[in-house]
Formats: sequence, structure tokens, C-alpha cells
Amino acid sequence: MKYVPLVWAAIMRKPTRAILTLLSVMIAFTLFGLTIGMNATFAAVQAAAKDNRIYVDPRFASGMTTMPLAVTHAVERIPGVAEVSYQNFIPGYITNPKNRIFVQVFGDSARKVFTEWPITPAQWDMLHNERDGVLVSKWQADKWHLKVGDTLTVIAPLVKKANGSTTWTFKVLAIVGDMAYNTNGFIWGNYDYFDKARPPALQGLIMNMQVQTSDASRTADIAQQIDDTFANSPSTTQSITEKAALDVSNSGVDIATVDREIALAGMFMVLFLTANGIAQAVRERFAEFATLKTIGYSDWGVICLVFAEAALPCLLGAVLGVALSAWLSGMIPHLMPPSMGLPPLPRITVMVAVWAGVCALAVALASSALPALRLKRMDIATALSGR
Amino acid sequence: MFRQIWIVSALNFRSLKSRFWQSMVIVVGLGATIGVLLSMMSMTQGMKQAYFNTGDPGRAIVTSQGADAEGQSSISRADAAVIMDAPGIAKDKDGRPLADRALNMGLPVLRKNGTKGYTTLRGFGPKGVALRPEFHLVAGRMFEFGKRELIVGEGAQIMFQHMKIGDKVILPNGRWPIVGAYTTGDILDGQLIGDTETMLTALNRTTYNSILVRLTSQDALSTFRRALTSNPALQVTVTRHSDWYKKVSDQATGLLAVLAYVVGGVMAVGALFGCLNTMYAAVSTRAREIATLRALGYGAFPVAMSVILESMVLAAAGALIGAGVAWLLNDGRTGTWGVNIFRLTVSSGLVMLGLSWAVVVALAGGLLPSIRAARRPVVDALRAT
Repeated sequence: MKYVPLVWAAIMRKPTRAILTLLSVMIAFTLFGLTIGMNATFAAVQAAAKDNRIYVDPRFASGMTTMPLAVTHAVERIPGVAEVSYQNFIPGYITNPKNRIFVQVFGDSARKVFTEWPITPAQWDMLHNERDGVLVSKWQADKWHLKVGDTLTVIAPLVKKANGSTTWTFKVLAIVGDMAYNTNGFIWGNYDYFDKARPPALQGLIMNMQVQTSDASRTADIAQQIDDTFANSPSTTQSITEKAALDVSNSGVDIATVDREIALAGMFMVLFLTANGIAQAVRERFAEFATLKTIGYSDWGVICLVFAEAALPCLLGAVLGVALSAWLSGMIPHLMPPSMGLPPLPRITVMVAVWAGVCALAVALASSALPALRLKRMDIATALSGR
Repeated sequence: MFRQIWIVSALNFRSLKSRFWQSMVIVVGLGATIGVLLSMMSMTQGMKQAYFNTGDPGRAIVTSQGADAEGQSSISRADAAVIMDAPGIAKDKDGRPLADRALNMGLPVLRKNGTKGYTTLRGFGPKGVALRPEFHLVAGRMFEFGKRELIVGEGAQIMFQHMKIGDKVILPNGRWPIVGAYTTGDILDGQLIGDTETMLTALNRTTYNSILVRLTSQDALSTFRRALTSNPALQVTVTRHSDWYKKVSDQATGLLAVLAYVVGGVMAVGALFGCLNTMYAAVSTRAREIATLRALGYGAFPVAMSVILESMVLAAAGALIGAGVAWLLNDGRTGTWGVNIFRLTVSSGLVMLGLSWAVVVALAGGLLPSIRAARRPVVDALRAT
């Protein structure tokens, strides 16, 4: 601890250089926090994905393509399938076409498939018993200023009722929590209520299915089996496991690798900056280091001082940069127009901070290595004479 | 005065060697910044190029009003017949209008890395190929009209599994064999093509997505458009094919470009601090030299200019290295984004963009140090050790 003032004095010898270096390191670590934090978000979503769930969509969907409800029974008969739920949706708006809203209506079996969603058994019961009820997630409730007991009126030009009306009214039964990856929140209603209100010709149709398997290790095979089962039918399907659907590399671009490369480029930039700064500082104060050695500092003692001089701005920059990236990702929701959904945001987890620390130390170590070697090999007499 | 700037700068650059590693901070900082910026932009550039190749100014596309994408558009059989008879459409050798009823739908595919994605399955009518001189069959044979078979683009064969000739593609009510492979050198390379009418039947659909026509000349667009929009029975939009793909391209590349600019911008700020650092150090190293020049009668302005010039030259060198690395790593590589396959491109325009970013950063990074250099009292500087 007693060396801290010594290191500090050494750094503050050139305040401009110290501050500019710190700012540069901070910016690099801001980028590091944003990119690696983004990867942490991807990883968290991927880790939270259920390994026994499959999403089944119509293979050739154009707009409001549907499947007959009967396909759910065919899926239920496939060995290894434990539960099948299904949904339809009501895309519409509230009072003005600009206020787009989206109500999903689920069959009763949804409660057995979406077990980890923040919905209590009592709330599922309410949804089952009060047919025109909806469960609204907090994000959506805040967006539309909805409270429990409110009436939600949705105008859906694409979804006509049997009587020709396109106005759907719902009662808000409960405000429930949001799901991390479902960044736009959700409004869930009762499929039965929706279906019975539709014209007879359009009843018994669903948009997609959610399948729960009894053996997680076979989920991918079962997804393939579902597609094979319907391959020659009018209702061809496209099944994807939840693990695959929530895997960011499934977008066709390996964003996680791109993120790491960007972070690395930033580190490379600061490495040069700090390495150069330390080399220069050691060159300027060569005689001083010789003095330290003369009064009894060991080689390692001097080297540690140099390392500390490199590490301090790196670590401080890392802390400030990562903090700034956390603040920035917290700011993004306030900068986005509320009508747009939220993009996935970087999450500054403990691991991100730890990695930032490790990188900062690695940069400090790499940049102080050569100057340290020079100090170790220095000839004290020559150095002191100033030659 | 220019002579003075020249002399002071020349002196500057000659002493660069002794400040080599220090100067490398600027070179590496901007190299990394521009390398990252251009690597990201090479995707948007490649995608834009592919879209640009797809849209021919001599063609026009007819879509239903309000449709932003071909998939959202819908044209009935009756409307299609009216549209294809309109004036302004060039005639083929057989005397028929060079116009084609097109279908456009998402087709689930398995990427080579095992992930699931989508590409576009396109329906061609009898004039689909005649409309597109860029279309060439490279293997196998053309699909036959009335038969349930498909041909596949070369890009799709590179990117997706099960796209060889003889492989079968799941469509409603059966699997369709792939009988040939084609190239167009544009966005269609990543897609598959079959017969529009046969596909309509299989899909249980009755409407087309769009009508593509060859105009008699590029100026015939207004004639063609007027004929369609003045017809009260039609609710369609006529767009020049190149403008259509420019719009699609802007939608597709917008987000990516914003991301590239944000990341590049953050890195540029980091590089700016590094640049300031180096230039302040350079000015203080050369304090006596500068003071001597001032004492000899050189003006403050040439001295300041020489500092800015030095930082700009170093930054430009860094930018060129960064651009070179981005070019080596990315140019010509096959990239995918959404449903599109394209070649990543680091064009000369992008290199210029990188250079101008670097010069702006260097200007900002050299300005404050240059002022310090110019304003330092000569006597003090001469006395300083």
C-alpha cells in the first residue's frame, strides 16, 4: 500500500498524458462492455431456452396462413410428444391504426407448455374461466396504461367476427411479469373465446403450435419427425427447437464472433497506447529507476512498480468504461421511440466485468513487459550518469 | 508561408523515425478503427451491390398498392392480364409482351452450419428468362412448365444443404426435385425458381405477387405507369426495377450501417484520445526544435500546420493499413444476411470513407497540440531541457 503514492506520483508526472490515456482506455472498454455484454445477453437467452420445446409453424406462411386445429392431434400421437399447445392471433390497433397491438390467443394446454412463464395457476384458471379475459405483461400494460379490470378494445381489420364486426373487446384479468427475451411484452387471451366468435368457415384454425417433448435429448429428432409427418400434406410444417430458435447464430450471421472481434480491435488499440506510454515513462525516468535500485529496491520491486503504473490506468479505464457501457445500455430504452419494440440490450454481468478486468491486466502486462526487461538488465552506473 | 510550412513539415517527418513507436499509436489506433468500420461496411456494401445488380432501370415492377415487399403484394389473375397488355412494354421476338407473372415466397432451408433459415422461392412465367439477360443456366436443365420441379441458384448451393441437382425440396403436397442450377450475379443467386402456375396450384393460391415487365425504353416508364394508374379497376404501384431494389436495399442495410457507424464512431473517439496523446508528446519532444525555428523567424502558423499535417499523414497511413486488412479479410468473401447471399465488398468508395474519417480524427487530434506548439513562448522553450 505504501507504494501507491509513488505509483500515483509517477502517473501524474504528465497529467495530460495520464488523462488522455485513461480516456482512450475507457472508450475501448465501453465498446468492450457493449459488445461482450451483448454476447452475455445472447448467452443468457440461449441458456434460459427450454431444451424440450419445439415451435411448429406453417412451412409456407404468407400473412395469415393457418393450419387446421386437427394437426395438433396428429402431433400428439408422435412418440415422445408430451404436450401440444396452439395459438391464433389478433393483429389490430387501439383507436388509431398507428397504435398497433397484438393479442395472442392460446388453447388451454398452453399452461402445461409455458410452465416457466410468470403466470400463476390462479391466473391460468382466470383465463380459462373468464373467456373474454386477457393477461397483460407489465411492458404492454405500461405502454397502453392498462390496469386490472380495464376494458381493452382492439380493432382488427384482418380478423372478422361471425357478425362482421372487427372490434374485439377484452377484460384485463391480471398484469403479469415479462420474459427477458420477449422484449415487446405480450397480451395473452383465450383461444376458445376467439374461435367461437369467428365465422363458422374460419373456425378451428390455428397459426402455430408449441410442442413439449418428454425426452429433452430427442427434441431435435422429434422436430424433424413433425416436419416429415406433414411433408406430403397440405399443411406442411417448419419446426424449430427453442434452443435453436433463440440461438443468435441462427440468424445466419455469427454476431457473437463479430462482437468479440470488435472488442479485440479495441484492446489492440489500447495495447499500443499504453505500451508506448509506459515505454516512454520508463525512458524518461531511467535514472530515477536506477536510483531506486541503488537504494535497495530489487529487480522485481522495480518491475512491480512499472507494472502498477501500467495497470492502474488500464484497470481504472476498464472500470469506468464498463460502467459507462452499463449506463449507456440502460439509456437505450429512453432514446428509442416507444412505438418500436426494444432491441436486445447488452447486459453487464459479473462475467463481463471479470473479462474486462482480465483483459485490462493482460494489456498492462503486455505493455510493461519490454520496459521491465530493460529495467532488469539496466547497468546502474551508466543509467545514473545519464548517458 | 507555404514554403515555411513545407520546410517545417519536412523537418518534422525526418525526425519521425526517432519517434517511431510513439507515432505508431496513431497508425494502429486509426488502423483498428478503420479496419473495424470497413469490415462492417463491407457487408452493407456487398448487399447494396447485389441489390443494385438485381434492379435493371429498363424494367418495371408492378405491385399492389402499399406493399413494401414482393411478399406483401398480391395481383389477381384478371389484373395481371390487364397489366400485361398496357402500353410501354417491350415485345419479345414472338410478338408477345416481355412481361412475367411472378411469385415470391419464403422457403425454409438448412444452412451448411446446420442452422435453420429461409431463402426466397421465386415463380417464373414463360417470359421470366427472356426478361433477364443476366440469367444463365450453369448445370443440369431448365425446369419444365407444368412440372413440379425447381432450379437452384449457385449461391444457394454454396450456403444451404440439400441443394444439389437431384435433391428434393418440400413444398405443400409433395417434394419437388431440383433439376438445374443457374447464376444471375445478383440477389437471385441465393434463391430457387420454379413455374409460377404450378406453384400456385400446389400452394392453393390464386394471386400472383408481382408483374415484372421490360420497358420499350427507359423513358417508357411514365407511359406504362399512366396507363395503369389511370385505370380505376387497378390498385397498383409501378416502380422502376432499380428504384424498387434501392428501396429494398435501404431497408435491408439501414440497421447494419447504423451499427457500423456507432461502433466505428466509438472507436474513433478512442483513437482521437490516442492521437491527442501522441501529438502532445511529439510537440513536447520537439519543443526546443520548434523554439529554434521560431527564433529563426518562422511563423506560428507554419509550426501549427506542421503538427496537424503530421497527425493527418500518420492517420491516413493507419487508415490505409486498416482498409488493407479489411480488404484482405473480407473482400470477395461470401456473406449472408437474412435471406440474402452476396459477396462482401471493400470498394474504393469505402476506402475513401475510411480515409476521410481518419483525416477528421487526425485534424481534431492535432489541433490542440498544434496550438500549444505555436503559442509556447520561445524563450521558455529554448531554456527547457
